[in-house]
Amino acid sequence: MDKKKLGIMEIEPLVRDRYIQDEFNLIGKRGISRMCGKEKAGGRAEYTRDVQLPGMLYCRILPSPYAHAKIKSMNTEKAEALPGVRAVLRYDDPELADKPLYGLETKFNAGHLASDGQAFYHGKHELAVTLEQWKQGAGRVLDGVAWWEGHPVGAAVAADTPELATEALGLIEIEWEELPLVLDPLEALKPGAPLAAEEINNRNNIIRKLKVEHGDVEKGFKEADKVIKFDARRRPYTVADAEPMSDVIQWKGDNVEIWAHQQQAYDGKIIFGMKMGIPLNRIKLHVPYQGSQFGGGGNPMMHHTHGVHIISGILSKRTGRPVKTFYDRKDNFYNLSQDTDCHTSFKVGFKNDGTITSVKIDNICAKMGQYGIDHFEENTRIPNLALNYLEANINVAPAYWFRCEQNHNALCLSLVIDHVAAALGMDPVEVSLKNDGAEGRDMEYLSKFKVEHGFPDRDSLAEAIEMGKEAFDWDSKWHAPGTKMLPNGKLHGVGFTWDHEWDDTRGTACAGVLMHCDGTVDILSQKSDDGLNAMTTHCQIVAEEMGLKLADVNFRFFEEVGFQMMTPDGSCNLAVDAYCTRNAAREARQKLLEYATTPVKVLEIEYPAAFPEHHPDDLDVKDSIVYLKANPDKNVPVAEVVKRAVLNQGGTRAPLFTWNWHRQGRYGTEEGRHRLTRQAYFAEVEVDPETGGVDVKTIVNINDVGKAISPETCEGQQYGGDYMGVGRALAEEVIYDPKTGVKLNANLIDYKVFTMRDIDETVNLLLETGMGYGPYGLNGIGECIATIVPGVIGNAIYNAIGERVDDHPMTPDKVLAAIEKAKAKRGDVK
Amino acid sequence: MKPFKHYDVNTLDEAVSALQNFAGKAKIIAGGTDIVGMFKDEVFAERPEALINIKTIPNLDYIKEEDGMLKIGPLALLEDIAHDELIKGKYTALAEAARRTASPHIREMGTISGNICQQCRCWYFRSPNNRFNCIRKGGEDCYAEEGENRYHSIFGNVKDCLAVNPSDTAPALIALGAKVKTSKRVLEIADFYEKEEPKKTTVLDDDEIVVEIQVPQPAANSKSKFEKFAIRKSIDFPIVNCASQVEMDGDTVKSARVCLNAVFANPYVAQKAAEYVVGKTLDEETVTAAADLALQDAKPLTKNAYKITIAKSLIKKTLLACK
Amino acid sequence: MVQKHQDDGGGKKITLKINDNEYSMVIEPHWTLREVIHDKLGLTGTKEMCDKGACGSCTVIMDGRPILSCMTLAIECEGRKIETVENLEVVGNPLVEAYADNHAMQCGYCTPGFVMTAKALLDRNPDPAVEQIKDALEGNICRCGTYPAHIDAVLDAAKRLEGGKK
Ligand SMILES: Cc1cc2nc3c(=O)[nH]c(=O)nc-3n(C[C@@H](O)[C@@H](O)[C@H](O)COP(=O)(O)OP(=O)(O)OC[C@H]3O[C@@H](n4cnc5c(N)ncnc54)[C@H](O)[C@@H]3O)c2cc1C
Ligand code: SF4
Ligand code: FES
Ligand code: FES
Repeated sequence: MDKKKLGIMEIEPLVRDRYIQDEFNLIGKRGISRMCGKEKAGGRAEYTRDVQLPGMLYCRILPSPYAHAKIKSMNTEKAEALPGVRAVLRYDDPELADKPLYGLETKFNAGHLASDGQAFYHGKHELAVTLEQWKQGAGRVLDGVAWWEGHPVGAAVAADTPELATEALGLIEIEWEELPLVLDPLEALKPGAPLAAEEINNRNNIIRKLKVEHGDVEKGFKEADKVIKFDARRRPYTVADAEPMSDVIQWKGDNVEIWAHQQQAYDGKIIFGMKMGIPLNRIKLHVPYQGSQFGGGGNPMMHHTHGVHIISGILSKRTGRPVKTFYDRKDNFYNLSQDTDCHTSFKVGFKNDGTITSVKIDNICAKMGQYGIDHFEENTRIPNLALNYLEANINVAPAYWFRCEQNHNALCLSLVIDHVAAALGMDPVEVSLKNDGAEGRDMEYLSKFKVEHGFPDRDSLAEAIEMGKEAFDWDSKWHAPGTKMLPNGKLHGVGFTWDHEWDDTRGTACAGVLMHCDGTVDILSQKSDDGLNAMTTHCQIVAEEMGLKLADVNFRFFEEVGFQMMTPDGSCNLAVDAYCTRNAAREARQKLLEYATTPVKVLEIEYPAAFPEHHPDDLDVKDSIVYLKANPDKNVPVAEVVKRAVLNQGGTRAPLFTWNWHRQGRYGTEEGRHRLTRQAYFAEVEVDPETGGVDVKTIVNINDVGKAISPETCEGQQYGGDYMGVGRALAEEVIYDPKTGVKLNANLIDYKVFTMRDIDETVNLLLETGMGYGPYGLNGIGECIATIVPGVIGNAIYNAIGERVDDHPMTPDKVLAAIEKAKAKRGDVK
Repeated sequence: MKPFKHYDVNTLDEAVSALQNFAGKAKIIAGGTDIVGMFKDEVFAERPEALINIKTIPNLDYIKEEDGMLKIGPLALLEDIAHDELIKGKYTALAEAARRTASPHIREMGTISGNICQQCRCWYFRSPNNRFNCIRKGGEDCYAEEGENRYHSIFGNVKDCLAVNPSDTAPALIALGAKVKTSKRVLEIADFYEKEEPKKTTVLDDDEIVVEIQVPQPAANSKSKFEKFAIRKSIDFPIVNCASQVEMDGDTVKSARVCLNAVFANPYVAQKAAEYVVGKTLDEETVTAAADLALQDAKPLTKNAYKITIAKSLIKKTLLACK
Repeated sequence: MVQKHQDDGGGKKITLKINDNEYSMVIEPHWTLREVIHDKLGLTGTKEMCDKGACGSCTVIMDGRPILSCMTLAIECEGRKIETVENLEVVGNPLVEAYADNHAMQCGYCTPGFVMTAKALLDRNPDPAVEQIKDALEGNICRCGTYPAHIDAVLDAAKRLEGGKK
């Protein structure tokens, strides 16, 4: 593929922080209250769903009842005649003709067909469709063709109340042409299969092909003492985020205001502005609190975000009233992304000591790239790797990032290590340490790399394993698979897995630091708060760097103030964004000290400096007080120093304001950058051999976060990820009717998000090696836990039963089948 | 929700006459946790025009022992039943079943009468806006038969409908030998469920109301036990549940009642298991044989054979717990 | 008292008692309590997550019981004592601060529902054991998985309540 044509930016070297202090007042400290906490717990935090404006109309979009169909004709007269209905937008409206669902003009590529993070990975990449088709991506806003059941098509209705909008949808008469559909990626790839979306590919259902080769796998298999083969499957699970989608748009003359429920809300604004022909300086964006996103909820170019904006925008313009387009829970299931359906076959060669010589993966996925080989490339020393990847289109809801696009990569690594350990009768911990490395190279190489690049030279995996083994009591709990029955009649199992940490630290961000004339500081930037405690952590950093009390710094990130931060903040909150706040704060501190040492003269009045005889270097700031380093008794409160450095009209000095922009790497594709930090997981389960029920007793996870700015926040990600991960392992699955493609569990009764009761105990430990690429040597922690946990639960279930259940989620039917298989092998009479 | 009519009534008679006025087009609302969900999704064979609220009738939430039996008012809340000391001690399976029903909040709202009268949860049936016009809605087909039937019946169909009864308290009440008193009659609870017409869940007439649940006092040497298998430990409906009550005579079983639910259109009385254990001691071997017998007649569908194994296990576990 | 024969089964004017305020308004039969509280009265702390009784986000306390406002018909709430999350800071209940201090939230969308469920627990049992807290909160869904922190927060709030008494 021609990179120039696609406008891919050149890869830049990764920045890393070489200046790491040892002593902090606020950073890394426990017991700091969550700054958004009272607002949230007290019910005062406003979410997009809560926004109500005077005269606001409520808009609903028609979900297709069919998984693949075309609208032949549509009659909206009855809906339009319903009292209280103010506007109906039809799919054949001329204003929609040029509203495709892609944002290639911005930094994005096509729709749900490809994930930004995946599209540029190493390897030979081949699109199976033309670039034009690929760009067409997710079709058009409010299209006349439905590619999945629930696809928002046909019409949108704005009415005085939500009920009226819903009632009006029911009055729309549509003549549909039902089209043949395909729901399974394997079926979709067979010759003669129905075309899932002929608009994208009119020859077959292939979207992308990819081949990756390192070394020579055949040679690797020859060198091996043993070669094993096995298959695995992952079924789709979905975001099921907390706050159902909505937006509000108000058209006011030449100006527009948007309230968005989006992770990358500013990117959503750009796409909206471009598509609607409105200059960006005429659009004001508000981003209230966000009821969780996990990536899948926030993609700015999918229908549930981009499409919703366009529809609200057009309807607001036409009615002269603010319009809230909202999804109910079912619509949310229809349109938020799901993780993909994957079929994977493995061939693995290894030596008797556990050294893996060769891994070959054949992977067929639905809808979105989940390759499977990446983590072998990135954090093992295995020299011979091969991937054969095929992506098929099918008639189900879109697939996209969802905490996160590494799900399949993580599971594949976990499976291979555990299968090898089992085949050799070895402890999986040993096999993991044997193969840890980077891009085919061993720990010695990695050690040299760390030293050369100024990182601490620590062995992250070894340290994590040591911590975890002790906390879990691994050495006494581990036993050969299928060998331990507890007095309560249950099968006892323990599992281990590991991976690198997500130190992707990618993207760009900018932020300002502004001090008011009372010495308090506002961090200026807009950001979408998905729950990663951005408010407190950035304030900690700014207060730390400027020497202020935490209470003197605030970060209200809801409004547009000229600067934007990276979101999803799971991957980027601190790893990228904190470079900006930190650097801006350092500069602001310097300015503050300059103000403290220079007088101001206005006409005849001279305002003396707080420290007239001194140079900024003589001064320091602590607890919001500027003092002389040589004589701390000589001190002046910050508020006094900046008294006249104000924004108001009586000021005599320029506002104390600094800003910073930072660009950090690109999705792990940077040359000469290796993953240095690791995470390790230990799990204990009890499997009821009679029911197939799995009780998760303990999960111990050790995450090398490099440096924890807020330990409680990191732990929140750890146990939060544990619950999501265990849910994925055991229950979460989007279930489709095999004939019609109708989603059968598009509600939170049948789609099972795990509860407080579903894990007995989580033990969450942080390792801080300082080897992250982010500021203070930190790296992200938001995405990886939920991504890794399904693997460790699978390994623990295997250890309990002695047979694999490599088909996720591991529901009781599958667990029971494995138990039967184990019994048959052991020769137990059935 | 789309509009409907709503009436508060002050007496049971008023409730009955309100139902009669609507001639089959009105339904009782008790806690509302089931019927409100059905209005939200618009999933009815025939959409009721009105709801008759009986919560305005005073004193229908009693739990008391009287006339040698436990009497439970129709509006008794599941949470109160779960924590009632009398029920926990003597009618254990019922307290356990109530405790394992849904979530704490639903139990604070949901009533015992609503629980035994609730509609099935078949996901084709519940697919919003009657997306599937299946047999239970008066249509021709059962979509579960060749579709996603992992949670459906393992004991065949009622007029081709394969849905299961999801109630947690019903099997406990059956194991305890309860009766349902209605505004017209007193029924053995096992006869309370409709066996012929899939469009109906219970045998209640359109104008008939459950007015009391009556549970006979268990014999002195008896115990009861309820077990539920679900994927999540809270909120979830049962994949299979089971309640047993056993009266012992020394070391051997004098009489037993075993009831499974979520395995068939109605609660499924495991008669063969109950008969088998009579006169025997309750050991692993006996209960295993009893469970195997009970599931002998099972006819699994394409995706739910695992429920047979689970049902056997729950029969064994509940019987052993009654030792 | 509305006489039965006058009742046409449609909307009627009733008085809702919410947080010591009385709201007299015409309520339609098909309006849920959550819609009335959140959409009509603007008490937006009562959140909608599942809209089907399966998550606890819309929990309010009615006559001492934690109930789901999304599954409750508002027309049936005449005369009942209803408390929403907004009341907690007004009455100085320590749960809100304990939640913030213990980081018992991430995105925070589900949090008011947990807080109200915990409030109902503490009203009944000011000194709950860990298992009792789990019994009370096991029906609340948090997609962010903040579960372990809730236990700390509720224990902390119970301690602060005790402290207040002394
Ligand atoms: C998320 C969720 C999870 C659930 N999990 C479970 C579970 O695990 N186990 C379980 O058993 N249930 C479960 N339920 C179902 C739950 O609705 C019932 O358990 C509850 O007891 C119903 O009682 P109710 O008073 O709310 O019924 P309502 O909704 O008021 O009524 C239900 C039905 O019974 C009829 N009815 C009510 N009272 C009478 C009467 N006196 N006479 C005649 N007819 C009457 C109504 O007309 C209606 O058709 C769950 C529900 C939800 C929403
Ligand atoms: S099982 Fe019954 S309710 Fe479900 S689809 Fe079949 S007929 Fe309808
Ligand atoms: S929104 Fe009411 S229980 Fe989920
Ligand atoms: S804090 Fe996000 S859903 Fe609970």
